[in-house]
Amino acid sequence: MEITFGVLLWGVRIAFLVVLYLFLIRAFSALQHSLGAETQVAARPAGLAFLVVQRSVRGAPRVGDRLPLRALNAIGRDAGNDVVINDEAASARHALVEFADGEWWVQDAGSTNGTLVNGATVRSRERLQYGDELGIGRVALRLEQ
Amino acid sequence: MTAPIAANIRSLTLTLAAAFLVTSVGVSYWTIIAADELANDPFNPRLIAASNDRPRGAILDRNGAPLATSEKGANGFVRSYKDQSLAQVVGYASLRFGLSGVEAAYAESLIGRDPADPISIWRARYLGERQAVGSVVLAIDEKIQKAATDALGGRRGAIVALDPRTGAILASVSFPSYDPNQIVDPQRQQAAMDQLNKAVDRPLLNRTAQGLYPPGSTFKVVTAAAALESGFDPTRKLRVDDPYQPDRSWGDYFVRSASHAHGLFDMSDGLRLSENIYFAQVGLQIGGAKLAEYAKRFGVGATPKLDLPAAKGQLSDSGVIERPTLVADTSYGQGELLVSPLQMALVYATIANGGVMPTPHYATEVRDAGGHVVRQIAPGAQGPVISPGTAKALATMLVGAVAGPGAFAFGAKIPSVDVAGKTGTAENRPGEAPHGWFVGFAPAAAPTVVVAVIVENAAEGGVTAAPMGAQVMRAALGK
Amino acid sequence: MIAARARVPIGRARFSELSLLVWVGILAVLGFVAVVGAETSSFGVASIIVPAVFIVLVLSLHVFLVARRFRGDQVLMPIAAGLTAIGLVLVQRLASDLLLQQLSWTIIAGGAFAATILIPRDLTALARFKWTWAFLGVLLLVAPLFPVIGREINGARIWIKVGPGSIEPWEAVKLLLVIFFAAYLEEYREVLAHSPRRIGPFPVPPVPYLVPIVAMWGIAMLVMVFEKDIGATALFFGIFLAMLFLATGEAFYAVLGLALLLVGGFVAYQLFGHVQARVDTWLRPFDEDLRFGTGYQLVQGLYALANGGLFGAGLGNGMPERIPVVWSDFVFDAFAEETGFAGALALLALYLLFLYRGMLIALRAPTTFLQLLAAGLSFIIALQTLVIVGGNARLIPLTGITLPFVAYGGSSLVTNWMLVALLLRVSEVSNRMRGGP
Repeated sequence: MEITFGVLLWGVRIAFLVVLYLFLIRAFSALQHSLGAETQVAARPAGLAFLVVQRSVRGAPRVGDRLPLRALNAIGRDAGNDVVINDEAASARHALVEFADGEWWVQDAGSTNGTLVNGATVRSRERLQYGDELGIGRVALRLEQ
Repeated sequence: MTAPIAANIRSLTLTLAAAFLVTSVGVSYWTIIAADELANDPFNPRLIAASNDRPRGAILDRNGAPLATSEKGANGFVRSYKDQSLAQVVGYASLRFGLSGVEAAYAESLIGRDPADPISIWRARYLGERQAVGSVVLAIDEKIQKAATDALGGRRGAIVALDPRTGAILASVSFPSYDPNQIVDPQRQQAAMDQLNKAVDRPLLNRTAQGLYPPGSTFKVVTAAAALESGFDPTRKLRVDDPYQPDRSWGDYFVRSASHAHGLFDMSDGLRLSENIYFAQVGLQIGGAKLAEYAKRFGVGATPKLDLPAAKGQLSDSGVIERPTLVADTSYGQGELLVSPLQMALVYATIANGGVMPTPHYATEVRDAGGHVVRQIAPGAQGPVISPGTAKALATMLVGAVAGPGAFAFGAKIPSVDVAGKTGTAENRPGEAPHGWFVGFAPAAAPTVVVAVIVENAAEGGVTAAPMGAQVMRAALGK
Repeated sequence: MIAARARVPIGRARFSELSLLVWVGILAVLGFVAVVGAETSSFGVASIIVPAVFIVLVLSLHVFLVARRFRGDQVLMPIAAGLTAIGLVLVQRLASDLLLQQLSWTIIAGGAFAATILIPRDLTALARFKWTWAFLGVLLLVAPLFPVIGREINGARIWIKVGPGSIEPWEAVKLLLVIFFAAYLEEYREVLAHSPRRIGPFPVPPVPYLVPIVAMWGIAMLVMVFEKDIGATALFFGIFLAMLFLATGEAFYAVLGLALLLVGGFVAYQLFGHVQARVDTWLRPFDEDLRFGTGYQLVQGLYALANGGLFGAGLGNGMPERIPVVWSDFVFDAFAEETGFAGALALLALYLLFLYRGMLIALRAPTTFLQLLAAGLSFIIALQTLVIVGGNARLIPLTGITLPFVAYGGSSLVTNWMLVALLLRVSEVSNRMRGGP
């Protein structure tokens, strides 16, 4: 019976290694799968809504430009932002505008000069209505559908 | 404007992925490529561990007498060594200090994984069956070993006896020795090993195969063999006048005769009376190249094919002999020559074996747990070194060197047996007493044993060594 | 896709995660059965108690995420769980008397994971308190040097006493450091990357912006020299360089940093005995004077690797216990001995997958801070793995870095699970804001 146990034990050892690889493969394919889903979403064209430039400075988007929005938008001077406002008065990462639970929200991202909604400084995460005017540096933008 | 971070993230990820690749290759090196070498490293505890939680295979002499066994102690199995005179040969298996000697050379066989038995290896590796350990049988004969130990009598030196027909080593003594039981005792091992490493007379060294000495006059047979095979007439008499130099260009350099001889010598006289000046002249006549060729054919300056570590020695510092004074000095066994007692025994074994050199070996068999032979260790002969005729002529002259009138090696005589042999007195550093040598074999007509004896710093040189050789040969021949 | 979109009234289903966790559970049970079976020569029910507790733990974490309607990544947590399972199997194999301790730490780590998922309500807000993190990090780093609470273990003074045990504050410091760097660099990356002055092709950033970073780094280096932990110093330096590179894209910083590291290493080699010993051990561990001294551990590790071969000696069938302190320093070699190159490769692949996933989260993160944070956190795990596995396989000098999730040790397990939670949080922000699974 010694051998039987030995063979069984060896079976468990082999199974361990096999399961390790199966787990690895499953994890990899799950990753690829979710990646596919994410890319699909990312590939959806922006255009849930627009920020229409009301007031601007030289170098920044021109008055009347319609800047498309996604579900989440980083706004600032840095090129890594979704909405780039090339104004010295704007911070590199100035504000975040997001669409969540069916509504638009804005929050300041630690900017130097602050973010304004209809002239009032944004303190926390605040709701944005269509038609509200957003102030980033010296640039003013209106949320439109 | 700053480029998006995405590109930086990608390059960092790629760099790390490359590092992962390099690491995997490194791991594959140790697990696969270097695995065999490391698995057989004498310090790998996987080769030793059996001594602790499982019994390790026994090491036996040719008659089955135990030399090393595993005995159950309070904390698992403890290795027990029976014969201190074989300490350097049998070696030790210590978790702290690794393996040495036969314990190292046959490590796998001693844990039941002999390379000749792949099924056992597989079963041991994959089914964890490691209880079944076999044994390793040595050619050592306890009786001859004891005679050799007694003969050496506690003097610094070594004695090796082997069977010229097979190369099997029958006795192997190296003194000073040590107690391997201390090396495997956790309480005492560190102190013992520290002491052994510090000892100036190097007890850990297996002098029979690893000790290197100038061969002295025992080397004259090599010069004689080279001369005979080059067509030199052994009966031609050469003039010997002490001190000797061939011409004035040698300046104040002379070859000296041990007996301050003046007269005519043939080869037989030269060997019997161990005449340096005779062999210096022979060497100069046949030339350094010929002498070097034969020394190399006899294995001088090459590591012997032994199953334990062995030293290779040298023909000269440069590996060649060209300078006439060096040719002359090498011809009678001095110069820059260094050999081990085993190498010298193999030279004489070649003569005893009709000109064919046997391959030396300590072990003869590996057995499994049931006592069945798994592997025979019988390495074939290494091929002819000299012609049978030359061998026969040399053997005859070596008998004269022991039994002839005024023979230097008279001390090696055994009643009713023809002994062939040669003493040597090897000069070493100035101010140190010379080493005494005897190398010989018996019975001369059909030799069954070759003995090489070295006594370090023996005041009387070969005179001290010759009777020791006789004592060992008598034990081997049962006389 | 269809499954993921199915409407579930309570919570939000995470099917990928659940199915991966099932595999983790099977792996844990098989590992324990093999190891305990080899030890006791029988299959007993007792052997699956620990894996059962572990499975309950990871499943409750899963249920917790589902109940929270958590939308973050579903792959990282199972990978961390798989690695933790392997770690528990190896603790049972190598130091079974420490198993209960490690299991308790695993449960605490699970709690820390859940807490990290819950507590920072707004992840981007972490950036605002960057100076708090820097201060806290320095405090924790210095703590082991104080006489009453500091403890020296195995020659390294990197521990502080907490109740009956001791923890390694360094482990927490690495998280704080990444958060600080991410926040600081988000703010100043442009200045650092596009300095007006250049010497040849090399940017010379304005001094005031570099000061806080260099000071932080300098303090860390000094402390590490006094605490005598080469591995942590190297890791620290690595994080510093990686974050700087991520933010600025200037390979020059990385090259300069590596050059500084080599020079520093050379100076340290000349000045400090413990550094010299490490390097000598690495270069010639088999030499007679080292193989029974400082090189003993490494040489034993290499023997273990060699015994592994392609498919290993089988769990419970090797002799990794011959390596001193195998359960914390040499778990990789132990695993490689018993599962072979095949197992070792799978283990490395799991870490690589972790890195890959973490970096993808970083790529998708909506703000620079979150990008730097996710990339920095993933980098920690990868670098730790490379440094310790490289040390175990004698590719680089050996250091006391732990193999993440697998090596025995509570502090490291807890912080690494918090690290996973942070990565999950970042991915959740992306998913929530950008839409997606």
